[in-house]
Amino acid sequence: MNQLIYEFATWLDTHSWSTQLHESFYMYNLVESTHVLALMVSLGMLFLIDLRMLGLAFVDIPATAIAHRLLLPMLIGFSVMIVTGLLLFYAIPVRTSQSLWFRIKVVLLIAAAVNAWLFHRRMQDADSSAGGSWDLAVKAPRRLQIGAALSLSFWVLIVICGRLIAYDWFDCRGEPSTFVSTITGCVADQTQF
Amino acid sequence: MSSRMLPSYTRSVAVIATIGLCLGFAFSNARLDTYSALLPLFEWMETTPFGVIGKTWGAVFATVQAVHLLAMAVLGGAILVSDGRLLSVIFTDVPQRQVQDACHRLFVWSLLLSIITGVFMACGVAIKVYYLNVFWYKMLALTVGVVFVFFVRRPLLRHDIENLNPWVLRMVAVASLMIWFSVAATGRWIGFSG
Repeated sequence: MNQLIYEFATWLDTHSWSTQLHESFYMYNLVESTHVLALMVSLGMLFLIDLRMLGLAFVDIPATAIAHRLLLPMLIGFSVMIVTGLLLFYAIPVRTSQSLWFRIKVVLLIAAAVNAWLFHRRMQDADSSAGGSWDLAVKAPRRLQIGAALSLSFWVLIVICGRLIAYDWFDCRGEPSTFVSTITGCVADQTQF
Repeated sequence: MSSRMLPSYTRSVAVIATIGLCLGFAFSNARLDTYSALLPLFEWMETTPFGVIGKTWGAVFATVQAVHLLAMAVLGGAILVSDGRLLSVIFTDVPQRQVQDACHRLFVWSLLLSIITGVFMACGVAIKVYYLNVFWYKMLALTVGVVFVFFVRRPLLRHDIENLNPWVLRMVAVASLMIWFSVAATGRWIGFSG
């Protein structure tokens, strides 16, 4: 598996556009800044929804109104983040694919996506079973609160991991321990980093 | 200084006097003198516990940076929803007062968290940021943002919002979005300067 990921990353690295993006000071920083600033739209909206479900913000406004009205701007923000995130990976494919933090981040992103899917299903269930009677309550039903707390936790960890990708503590170039080497996917006799 | 403490004529005079003072400061030697006088403060910042931790433990510095980003995300969310409501593009069926008050509470908490984590980060790289122009642009943008929120936006929105001219509300929202985008963009710019 690690060998496959390495081969895929080195193949991406052969693309001239990948090199050009990595070496372009303005374009790379523009993409990176857009990725970070899109946080304000995507996570900004998501956190407002989660805080409402936990009864920590917007308690005067119906919970479903918050969840439904903020969904579109949140999805637009996440779309920008996904596109710019893929471009950032494309610019530095080998090092990123072998970053311990990037790998943890991907696992957390999958967990956050599954949690979001479950959260929306639970919200539909709560809507149909309680007939919307919970909508004006300060706190959402317990299952939705758990979903919101998990969402907040996942995204806090995702942002921390994203920030730590910039650090080279566990890079393959630094010859890490066998355990770290296996997790990060370092390949024996690899020539590209 | 609350808007209720001063009549509108006095407020106008105070605003014009403040702008005049700022311009005088910007185009006189006072600005350079103040800049030079601040160097010992920044040198001291690097010796504080925040500065020592920030320089010694990269993981702590990176985690605080991430918390700063998360606080900015909440701040951005509160501003976008609040200004979106003023522009009548979101929550149009929810009273202005409810949206503005809820957003302002969230804004204040996230601003406090951003400032605390920002001070920690600045202590770790104090001398570096002292010599970065963009750091001062960010501080200027942040000051303008805070002054705008607490001395212009909030006092204005304390009035009966529904009876205010919609164009005034739109102008306030656009100005707010531009100011806070400048704060975020200059902050990001610090990351790849120097």
